[in-house]
Amino acid sequence: MYFRKINILVKKELKDAFLSPLIYILTGLFCSIMGWLFFNYLMQAKTLTSASMTQAVITPIFGNINFIFVFLCPMISMRSFAEEKKQSTLDLLLRSQLSEMQIILGKFISNMVLVFFMISFTFIFPVILAVSGYSDWGVVGSSYVGVLLSVMAYLSVGLFCSSLTDNQIVASLLTFCIILGSMLLVITVNASNNYIFSLLVQYMTVPFHYEGFTKGLFRSYSFIYFASYLGFFFLLTLKSLQARKW
Amino acid sequence: MENKAEIAIDIKNLTKLYPGRMALNEITFSVKKGSVHGFLGPNGAGKSTTMKILSGLIPESSGTFSVNGKVGFLPEHPPVYPGMSVEDYLQFVFDIYSPAQKNKKAVADVMEKTGLLHVRERLIGNLSKGYQQRVGIAQALVHNPEIIILDEPTVGLDPVAIADIRELITKLKKDHTILFSTHQLHDVELLCSDITLINNGKIVVTGALEGILKSLKTRMVISAHVEKFSEENKKEMMAKFKLLSIEFSPDIEKSQILLKIEANMTSTLKREIARFLTEDSIGLLEFKEDDLSLEEVFKQMIH
Repeated sequence: MYFRKINILVKKELKDAFLSPLIYILTGLFCSIMGWLFFNYLMQAKTLTSASMTQAVITPIFGNINFIFVFLCPMISMRSFAEEKKQSTLDLLLRSQLSEMQIILGKFISNMVLVFFMISFTFIFPVILAVSGYSDWGVVGSSYVGVLLSVMAYLSVGLFCSSLTDNQIVASLLTFCIILGSMLLVITVNASNNYIFSLLVQYMTVPFHYEGFTKGLFRSYSFIYFASYLGFFFLLTLKSLQARKW
Repeated sequence: MENKAEIAIDIKNLTKLYPGRMALNEITFSVKKGSVHGFLGPNGAGKSTTMKILSGLIPESSGTFSVNGKVGFLPEHPPVYPGMSVEDYLQFVFDIYSPAQKNKKAVADVMEKTGLLHVRERLIGNLSKGYQQRVGIAQALVHNPEIIILDEPTVGLDPVAIADIRELITKLKKDHTILFSTHQLHDVELLCSDITLINNGKIVVTGALEGILKSLKTRMVISAHVEKFSEENKKEMMAKFKLLSIEFSPDIEKSQILLKIEANMTSTLKREIARFLTEDSIGLLEFKEDDLSLEEVFKQMIH
């Protein structure tokens, strides 16, 4: 029952999203950039062995997918609550049988489906590589897991920012600033002389954890990091939705 | 006084504080089951706040209220998704408001009730304001609530659309208790059995419409058609009956004179005036006491 209620919202959100041009524009943009990059990386690669392919193509490609979603995720998540607020339909949802958490999860899952839709076009890269004999599927798999986890983190930030305002532009800019800001913490890490402090700050940044996945490493603390990242921003979003009762 | 089971909404000492402003100040009133209750007041009086509290959107600061039954709510701006078709939208609202039920007919029924069947496939954003308002009302009805709260359902609509909405409310009052706010006093006179008047967050008056009108009636206005009337007649009447005013204007087409007489209310005055006017020198043709309109009551109470 809990998930059936969420499902109602997810279905509606997806229908909305796929009937509007935004998702197709973003997907088109994403595909052309990724295709172009893949082609260039492939051309640059000097030898065509599994190990060199991973180094020269797979790792940089996934690094770029992750980086592009820093820009795309704010645009995907900006509508979620901001538009509902503007249309004064948020009250309609809040008064319904859906709990606030179910609404947040519904919005989050539908955003994830949209991102998955975009990422699914990159499945053609490993297929192309497979034709030329590439076989290091572990790295490809863990890279996809890494991309999905970091995208989840970005979207949870986006959801929170979207719940703060009824202006989509403000929501997307704020999301972008928070994500980029948390990435730029790396500079602090490099600048610091304190070893413990820099380790602590490093642990807080998404790229540090993402990096492990692109090397084919499943580190348990990275999963804990992403889980707590999501939990933290879901909690903030929940509080923001409940703020109307303050 | 009243039976508990017959009260749909009961509000006691409800107070709402916004930072630095008291939106509602200990308001108390009740809405009888099966009645159409008009909720009146100038802009910013606290009508929307009360309705939002009743529908559970915002919490009260103090006081209690009980709502006996499911509530369907139409806020000031109809909460519609412009990119959805009417039918999809209503189905979605039905699903999130009663997810346990699988009633395929609910949406079709409500579309029929609200006259939306012929626009079911169209996108809500492309509909006229009147139809969007209907969709808003349909949204409040679709999960079949006992109580319907409508916040200014007729605001910003053209006269034909207003008449349609009025007709719709008349239809709905058979099966539902309706509480609605409006500035169209004409609507209230036509539709409501009870009214509550609110100003500056305080209840001014609440109760049955007829009773309120009667209790407030301190003056009466009589309009009459006569054959002849002169300044002397006017002076004589003013002196004899202690009238507040007499206006007379000739109606050339019918060769009649139209009189408008205003007087303080006394029990026998009406009869005496009628007798006076039937004299040969005046010649009474038509005689009617005008009802005190709600508009006058409204102005009287607010100022």
